[in-house]
Amino acid sequence: MSALPDPLRLHRCMLLIRAFEEQVRRLAAAGLVPGLVHLCTGQEAVAAGAIVQLGPEDRIASHHRGHGHCLARGADPRRLMAEILGRAPGLSGGRGGSMHVYDAASGNLGTNGIVGGAVPLATGAALAAQRQGSGGIAVAFFGDGALNQGLVSECMNMAAVWRLPVLFLCEHNGYGEFTASADVTAGPSLLARGAVFGMPAEEVDGMDALAVQQAVAGAAARARGGEGPSFLLCHTWRFSGHHAGDRQDYKDDEETRRWRARDPIPRLAAHLRATGLADDPALAAMEAKAERIAADAAAFARAAPEPEPAALHQHLFA
Amino acid sequence: MDAEQGWRFLETMLLMRRFEEAVGTLGARGAFPGHYHLYIGQEATGAGAFSVLREQDRIATTHRNHGHVLARGADPGAALAEILGREGGLNRGRGGTIHLCAPDLGFVSTSGIVGSVVGLAAGAAFACKGRGDGGIGVALFGDGALEEGIPFEAMNIAALWKLPLLLLCENNSADAWGMAKGGYPALVHAANDLRAIPGALGIPAIRVEGIDPFAVCDAVATAAARCRAGEGPVFIEAMTRRWAGSAPLWPELATGITDLGMATGETPIPEGPHAEWFARNDPVLRLARLVLAQGGDSAARLRALDAAVCARIGAAERFALASPLPDPATATDFTFA
Amino acid sequence: MRTLSYREAVIEALAGEMRRDPSVVLMGEDIGAAGGVFRQTAGLFDEFGAARVIDTPISEAGAFGIAVGASMCGLRPVFEVMFGDFITLVMDPLVNQAAKLSYMSAGGFSAPLVLRTTMGVGSNLGPQHSQSLHAWACHVPGLKVALPASPADAKGLFASAIRDPNPVVIFEDRMLYTLRGPVPEGEHLVPLGSAALRRAGRDATVVATGRMVAHALDAADRLAGEGLEIEVIDPRSLVPLDLEALVASVRRTHRVLVVDGGARRYGAAAEIAAELAESAFDWLDAPVRRLAAEDVPIPISRTLEPLVQPDAARIAAAVHALVAG
Repeated sequence: MSALPDPLRLHRCMLLIRAFEEQVRRLAAAGLVPGLVHLCTGQEAVAAGAIVQLGPEDRIASHHRGHGHCLARGADPRRLMAEILGRAPGLSGGRGGSMHVYDAASGNLGTNGIVGGAVPLATGAALAAQRQGSGGIAVAFFGDGALNQGLVSECMNMAAVWRLPVLFLCEHNGYGEFTASADVTAGPSLLARGAVFGMPAEEVDGMDALAVQQAVAGAAARARGGEGPSFLLCHTWRFSGHHAGDRQDYKDDEETRRWRARDPIPRLAAHLRATGLADDPALAAMEAKAERIAADAAAFARAAPEPEPAALHQHLFA
Repeated sequence: MDAEQGWRFLETMLLMRRFEEAVGTLGARGAFPGHYHLYIGQEATGAGAFSVLREQDRIATTHRNHGHVLARGADPGAALAEILGREGGLNRGRGGTIHLCAPDLGFVSTSGIVGSVVGLAAGAAFACKGRGDGGIGVALFGDGALEEGIPFEAMNIAALWKLPLLLLCENNSADAWGMAKGGYPALVHAANDLRAIPGALGIPAIRVEGIDPFAVCDAVATAAARCRAGEGPVFIEAMTRRWAGSAPLWPELATGITDLGMATGETPIPEGPHAEWFARNDPVLRLARLVLAQGGDSAARLRALDAAVCARIGAAERFALASPLPDPATATDFTFA
Repeated sequence: MRTLSYREAVIEALAGEMRRDPSVVLMGEDIGAAGGVFRQTAGLFDEFGAARVIDTPISEAGAFGIAVGASMCGLRPVFEVMFGDFITLVMDPLVNQAAKLSYMSAGGFSAPLVLRTTMGVGSNLGPQHSQSLHAWACHVPGLKVALPASPADAKGLFASAIRDPNPVVIFEDRMLYTLRGPVPEGEHLVPLGSAALRRAGRDATVVATGRMVAHALDAADRLAGEGLEIEVIDPRSLVPLDLEALVASVRRTHRVLVVDGGARRYGAAAEIAAELAESAFDWLDAPVRRLAAEDVPIPISRTLEPLVQPDAARIAAAVHALVAG
């Protein structure tokens, strides 16, 4: 766990996510990804900024746009990519795919195909941590669409009543599938969805990895100190639409220009240059390394075998 | 105070009270099957609210529904017969106490699933809006319903779509749980004011004294007017008192059969655990004292009113007990429409 | 052997497992100081305290989802849904999360938890508080399902379920809570997937689940007076199902009636009957017969409610028809 900002680590993490998602996009375009796949390009700062604050005893639970969380939490890029392609060496043996990546080794309770599905799992992980006295905390990642799920409000209520060490981290990217958040979400402000349960609720610039890191550090410290849950509303934007191949006709050019200009990666790169932490050659080297790792993951996954038919019935029960 | 309005409220509230006393008495002797819930202590909320509602309004209510169904004008005999599981019941003995329902009176559902009525009433409100006859949907529920997710989802949609939905929460826990379990609402609700929950969804929320039928009537009238005007849902939290008879798992007539002499002064208020109830919290005795304060022939009028109500309940009980149990040959009737 | 009520046997199992394993916690509505609305957790709050006997708000979906998450992180929750009808409210975390976890994660995670719920026709609780939805749970790959029929099995199946690394759903019939019977003291485990022969016979086999076992035994007594000796077998768990024991019985009697308290259509009795038709066809002298609940919601009426589920008289009549056929 890092209490201090580690901008270089953040940047490496974001670069890896960006390069990885680009490989996924290409594989999907080539027809190699079974089903739909949701890319988190544009939202890298949230995954990197939040997860860099976590330690090995902590847990995360993620959503359908979760590759970034898995990578930030330390999943093997090769096995993650293999899972996305439904191949045998994948993290879930090719059974789950993109929306069902589980990685117990890195304390990752999984991506999830149910909107809001991460929220009870992370809240339960926090309950376990509290009852076991492990000192760990849990982070639930979910989108703005999940705020309209009743089970999410139930969990926030219980987490607040029981003062559980959990962070409700909403990645507000403005859309639930193809519908603008404002069209489906009532009330004066999304912040009220957490504040109503008496927990600290904070707006965060989700395109600024350092801001995310700082907000999560504060919320994590409260959780570890027994002060209960927090709600973080991270404003972000998905560059690739709902799924790889989404034509995004529902977005206008002005909106796209505005958000592209806030791309979290050049933004942190500028900070690194300005503070002297990295110069252009160093940044280029970091980017090249991320691309190598992602390309290697893609190559590994493409070459990986499909599951054997005998695997069909394996792991139904533990 | 509008004295005649007071008498009308009192008639409705006495009808509910005497009905529930009959139910409690029959229940204690095992005259009907299963578990049940009584409306005693909440009569003022039901009487005040239903005095405002119109024929075209659609209502969904909960396990604690007897008073609502009576306030809407259901025949007490058919209501009691339903509780007894008889063929002459509102639902021909299929539903029983938790599911008293009168579709012809505008009840769309009476559900034993906590919180579910908010979704059903929102659907009714949606239909009312489409019909454009000024009707509104009314959800009647308790404070526990807000622990569920369905009301949260339904309120979000109702707010977005500006549905004519009146959300009437009868909070009967605020005092009881505070005493019994060391802190309400902190044990079950993180929101320390339930109005904050609809508030977070942009729904105006007001609180009203639930043992005062005039206050409830005014609040519901204002809220219903807003709904009818197309301005979207309104939430009302009516603070009722928890009646001691609801404390045990099985209700019992802990405060006995209501003695209106405690309002006229003919009967002294007994010392003991229920003194506060008799003196201040019982909404029926409270309203009786208010109408008696008008003086004149009010004491005689109160006695006559109670006698008439008791006669109606007596007739209802005779009807219900004489009603046959459903014919076994009809066991599978109504499974499908 | 000392006798306990079914309810006491469950409480003894819960207490024993909670003493043995500090990761076992109970979650549910009114299960703490209140002791459960059916007194089914009485005394546990006093012994184990609020940290392990956790009262939840009335938020079934969220609270059960939390139980699933906690089970992925080292706790072993026993989560109670007050009425079986209310498992509809926990279907998402049950079906989409807990049941699929092991499979989806290729064994990386599982959900070692118990979902206990009550059902029971005959309490006059009406359509939303009586239904027997155990066949729903059986239909979901990844869930185990048990229906204890006796106090000893209640203790033994609960203990096994709590130790099982998978999600196990236990349906308790409220009408059995006061049933008394011998219960072994100390550790007592009944493995999931082991049927029990309740009564030996030669003329026909009755496979009965849950409370239907008691009705079948009553029917067997009556039939014995009429010269018919029937064998009564209780599968005890429906998933896994001890098909071998069921087939072995059919090989002895050559006729079988399957009795279940859930609705007949697409129900547990239908599945067991189909399994036997496929696996024991060569030994059958008559078609497999089913007796299950009427396909109606459970009415509250005292005349209608008793018509819904099979009882001893209807089982006896069905056996007569089976033997005549």
